[in-house]
Amino acid sequence: MTTVTKPNLATDKLLTDLHVKYIQNLGENKDDLMYHLTAHLRLNAIYWGLTALCVLGRPDALNREEMIEFVMSCWDEEAGGFGAHPDHDAHIHPTLSAIQILIMQNALDRMDVDRVVKFIVSLQQPSGVFAGDRWGETDTRFLYCAVNGLSLLGRLDEMNKDKAVEYIQRCRNYDGGFGSSVGAESHAAQVFVCVAALTILDRLDVVDVDTLGWWLSERQLPNGGLNGRPEKLEDVCYSFWVLSALSILNKVPWIDAEMLSSFILSAQDPEGGGIADRPGDMVDVFHTLFGVAGLSILGYPGLVDLDPVYCMPATFIGARGLRKGWQALSRRQA
Amino acid sequence: MHGIKRARLTEEEREARRRRELSKIDEFTKLSDATLARKKERDWSRDAFDLTTLLLQINPEFYTIWNYRRLILLNGLFVNVPAELVKDILLDELGMTMSALKAHPKVYWIWNHRRWCLEQIPYGPGQESESHYAGWKQTAWDRELTVAEKMLDVDARNFHAWGYRRYVLDSMPNPRPESNELIYTARKIEANFSNFSAWHQRSKALASLWTQGKLDESKSREDEFELLRNAMYTDPNDQSVWIYHRWLVGTESSREILEREIVAIQELLDEQPDSKWCLESISYYKRLLLNKYTSEVDVNVLSEEIRSLLDRLETLDPARQRRYQDLRKRKRVGTDLQQKNW
Ligand SMILES: [Zn+2]
Repeated sequence: MTTVTKPNLATDKLLTDLHVKYIQNLGENKDDLMYHLTAHLRLNAIYWGLTALCVLGRPDALNREEMIEFVMSCWDEEAGGFGAHPDHDAHIHPTLSAIQILIMQNALDRMDVDRVVKFIVSLQQPSGVFAGDRWGETDTRFLYCAVNGLSLLGRLDEMNKDKAVEYIQRCRNYDGGFGSSVGAESHAAQVFVCVAALTILDRLDVVDVDTLGWWLSERQLPNGGLNGRPEKLEDVCYSFWVLSALSILNKVPWIDAEMLSSFILSAQDPEGGGIADRPGDMVDVFHTLFGVAGLSILGYPGLVDLDPVYCMPATFIGARGLRKGWQALSRRQA
Repeated sequence: MHGIKRARLTEEEREARRRRELSKIDEFTKLSDATLARKKERDWSRDAFDLTTLLLQINPEFYTIWNYRRLILLNGLFVNVPAELVKDILLDELGMTMSALKAHPKVYWIWNHRRWCLEQIPYGPGQESESHYAGWKQTAWDRELTVAEKMLDVDARNFHAWGYRRYVLDSMPNPRPESNELIYTARKIEANFSNFSAWHQRSKALASLWTQGKLDESKSREDEFELLRNAMYTDPNDQSVWIYHRWLVGTESSREILEREIVAIQELLDEQPDSKWCLESISYYKRLLLNKYTSEVDVNVLSEEIRSLLDRLETLDPARQRRYQDLRKRKRVGTDLQQKNW
C-alpha cells in the first residue's frame, strides 16, 4: 500500500465542520468491513457521535426520527434492556447509551422505563458491584453505567447505594486511584467511573482528593498527552477519563491545559475529520468524542459545556436537577 | 481503535480495497445473519455451535455470539451426556479461547468466556468422598495460572491478564501460598523496573501476608526498601518505583524511617540535582513529618525547606506548577495530607 505524501494541513485549531461531516458519514460506511465488525458497539457509537455533535454545537446534524427508531429497534424484549444492535443481547452498557440518546433527543417517553429500571437493578450483585448482563461479568464500569442510568431516570433509590459505595471503597488503592475490581491496579478509566459514580451518589468523601489529584496530574507526559497508568503511553481517550475526574475534584489546573489541547488537536485527521488515539493514527468516533469532551472541559472556544459526571451536554443534566459541584476551565473567547 | 496507523490512499487504492472488502463483508453478514436467525429459533445443535466458532474467529468482540455459544452448550451439547464429555468439550473451549486470546489479548469477551468455561468444569471422576473427586477441576485451574503468565510474558502490563491471574489465584480449588506472589512479582520487576502492575501486585500480596501474620512486617519492609534503593538508582525518573516507595512508607511510618528515607533520597538528589521525583518525594515525606510529628520537629525550618522544594519543582516541572503553588499556599504546608489509612 503506497502512502501519498500528505499536504501539510494544520491541526492547531479544532476542525469542527470536518468532525461534524465525519460523524454524519459514519452511517454511510457500509462498504467498509470495519463498519460491520463494529455492529456490537453501534448503539454506543451513536451515543458517542451524538454527544460529540452536541458539544460541537451541532445537535441536529443527524436525523432525529431515524435515530430514535434505531434505538428502539435495539430493544431486547426477553431481557428488558437494550442490545447494541437489533437482535443483539441486552447489556448494561448499550442500555445506558439508549437512555442517554433518548434524553438528548427528548424522547424518553418512547422507553419502558419501569422495565429498564428492573433490568438494571437486577444486575446488582451481593457485593454491591453490577454485572454487565445475565452472564455475570462484573466491573466498576458496569456499576457506573447502573448509577448513571438510574440517576438519569430518577430511580436511584431502587438500587442498594450503600453496597455500591462499599464496593467502590474496596477497589480504592493507596495511590488514590481505583481499579476495575477489588485488588486491581488503578487505571484512569476506572478512576473516572468510580469517582463519577461516587459523585452521583453524593459520596465523594470516599476519595482522597490530594493523593488522587497527584496521581491524576502525573498522567500528563512531556508531549502534553495523558496516559492511563504509570509508565504507559499517551492516548486521547485518557484526556477525558483523567480530566473528568480532575474536574470533579476541582483540580483541572494541576495539569498543563495548553499542552493537552495541542496534543488532542494534533490527533485530528485534517482531511477526513475525526480524532484518533494519537497523531497519525486511524480516527474513530470514540476518540472523536473523548477528544472533543476533553477540549470542552479545557475551555476550548466555541464548544458547548459538557457535564463530566454523566458525559452528556451540561444543559440536559442541569435541566434534570442533577448538576454536581464539578469545575471545568472557563470557556475562552475565540 | 488503538495504535492503527492512518494510511493515505489514492482513489484507485481506495477502490481496490473496497472491492477486496466487499466479498469479506458479504461473507460476514451472511454468517452473522444465519447465526442470529438460528439463535432466534433456539437452535441448540452442533451445526449452530460450529457457526458460532466461525463467526467468533472473524469477530471475537461479537458478545451476543459468545452468549449464544454458552446457551448451545447448556441447552444442547451438555444435555444427557456423561460428565467426562462435558469436561472434554470445556477443555476444547479453553483451547479455542487460548488461540483467540493470542490474536486478541485485550478482548474482554474472550476472557469472560474462559472464566465461564473454567467454572463449568464438572467434579469427577468418582464419588465425593474420594480424594481425586475434584481432580478435573484442579488440573484445569492449575493450568490457568500458566496461561495468565504466558500472556504476561508477551505484554507485562496487560491488565486483563493481571486481573485474570488474580481471579485464578483467588478461586483455584488448590490454592497457592500467597508468598509465591513475592517470587513472581520479583521476577517481573527484575525484568523491568517500570512494570508498575507488578509493583502493585506485590504491594497487595505483602499487605495481605502482613495482616495474616505470615511474614515479619518490619523485616520484610526493610527488604523492600533495599529492593527499592537499587531500582531508584537504576532509573530515578521511573514513576513506578516512587509510587511504590510512597506505599511502603505509608502514613504510619515512624519518625526514624521518614528521616532515614529523606536522607537516602537526598543522597540520590545530590547526584542527580534535577531529579523531579527525588524532589517530589522529599517534599512529600517532609510534609508527612511535619504533619505527623508536629510537636517534635522545628515547624518553621521544615516549612521553609518544603517551600523551597516546591519552588524548585515549580521551575523544574512547569506542567504541574499549579499543584506546587496550591500546596505552597496552604495555611500550613503539611495540611494536604488526609492521613487516610488503607
Ligand atoms: Zn484510547
